Amino acid sequence: MKSKSELTDYYYRILYPTLQLLEKDRVQLSHRLITVGVIYTILVVLIASTIYGFLKNNNVFIFAPFGYLVGGGIIYNYLIKDYTKEFKDKIITPLIKALDKNLHYSPDYHVGNHHFTNSKIFTSQLDKLDGNDYVKGEIDDVNIEFSDLHAQTKHKDAKGNTHYQTIFQGLFIVTDFNKHFKAQTVILPDTAQSTFGDYIGNLLQSHNMGRNELVKMDSVAFEKEFVVYSSDQIEARYILSHALMEKLLLFKKHSNHPLSLSFVGGKVYLAIAYNKDLFEPSIFHSLLKYKIAMEYVGTLHLAVGIVEELKLNQKLWSKL
Amino acid sequence: MSTPFIILIVAVIVLVLMYNSLVAKKNQVQNIFASVDTQLKKRYDLLPNLVASVSQYMQHEKSILEDVTKLRAKANQANLSDKEKIDLDAKMSAALGSIMIAVENYPELKANENVMHLQRSLSEIEEQISASRRAYNQAVTDYNNALEQIPTNFMANFMRYTKKEVFEINENERQNINVKELFNTK
Repeated sequence: MKSKSELTDYYYRILYPTLQLLEKDRVQLSHRLITVGVIYTILVVLIASTIYGFLKNNNVFIFAPFGYLVGGGIIYNYLIKDYTKEFKDKIITPLIKALDKNLHYSPDYHVGNHHFTNSKIFTSQLDKLDGNDYVKGEIDDVNIEFSDLHAQTKHKDAKGNTHYQTIFQGLFIVTDFNKHFKAQTVILPDTAQSTFGDYIGNLLQSHNMGRNELVKMDSVAFEKEFVVYSSDQIEARYILSHALMEKLLLFKKHSNHPLSLSFVGGKVYLAIAYNKDLFEPSIFHSLLKYKIAMEYVGTLHLAVGIVEELKLNQKLWSKL
Repeated sequence: MSTPFIILIVAVIVLVLMYNSLVAKKNQVQNIFASVDTQLKKRYDLLPNLVASVSQYMQHEKSILEDVTKLRAKANQANLSDKEKIDLDAKMSAALGSIMIAVENYPELKANENVMHLQRSLSEIEEQISASRRAYNQAVTDYNNALEQIPTNFMANFMRYTKKEVFEINENERQNINVKELFNTK
């Protein structure tokens, strides 16, 4: 696997000619989007006021913005479709191959529903799961797959309207774990303890419905960041050795976003909540900007680097 | 319903809850100690084999090997208290740690399939034991806290609960981990 700086180098050196071409497309596209946007807005305003002139009904002004947004979204997606495809084919695909040649990339697929449900990280009912940018492969004999995911749950408000609420949006990673275990262990960001303090936080955590038993870990730094629930007190500690806790803290620091993970059925599931769609081409900022480049390179490296960072490749002897 | 009666009911509920939580904490300690015990036994079972395999090579470490054998014999005695088991485990871990390190000095041993097998099994069990020790320590800490904190301390006093000891997680534990890592890498 290539290091992050090697990968950045690859992005700027090898992909540079392609990036320059794409950059031209991007500038054209952004101009086109602005022009179409202005014309579309004027059109909608005209149509809405004409309809109002005929009907004299105030409801027009309630439905017009709604229609404006939906229509705008459809037009926007239509206009950026080719550019997005080209970006993924010409930039993300070679970037992933450069990272490790054992990785395979499918822009339109995502990590399966069963993985999301099996992970037990989220207790809300899963009603809708979208995603893209699916990567699958083997790093040092460890199976890994990850993708962008957007999971939603459906609920009805008092008026009977259906709403979708986001459970999770971000990067979802599934890999093999290097130790045998039977229990289910879930590790979540510690919100209760940091909001309410140790005593009340702990009290709230130990009465969390829908979760297994609370496991108090013997690392102050880890306890501050995470809360652990498991069906087996001993196995949770067998998985979360002092070394792994330290590595997870470091990984969390690198990812810089809320991190939840779980150990279920021999696998590790990691959910990093970026709260946005990842690996999408930048449209209003230059592709050559370092910050934009780092978003692609950094996120990819973080996801694939998990195997090395958590030492998942150092398998226990009986698992070899 | 009169006020004194309500106060009485609330008081009884509080007492019952306190009593139950203490009992639950005590049982948690016992349950986890049972798992620690099983794993310690698993480790003791491997020892005769290990000692037999390495003794012919290890001339300078005879005394450690004898210690291990003696400790094992002690551990197999019936009616050991939890505290005695904890002490024996600490001694055994230290002795095994020295053997593991000593193996490094004998190329014949490092090449011996049987010894390698034993060593790897031991280091895996060692990791499981370490996890159960940590779980046990947490359960004991919860239990001991309840024994000292108000208001459960009055109830605990009345129930004649006494504080329990935790496993020392000391320096040689960390050494064991280092040795383990040597063998876990491919």
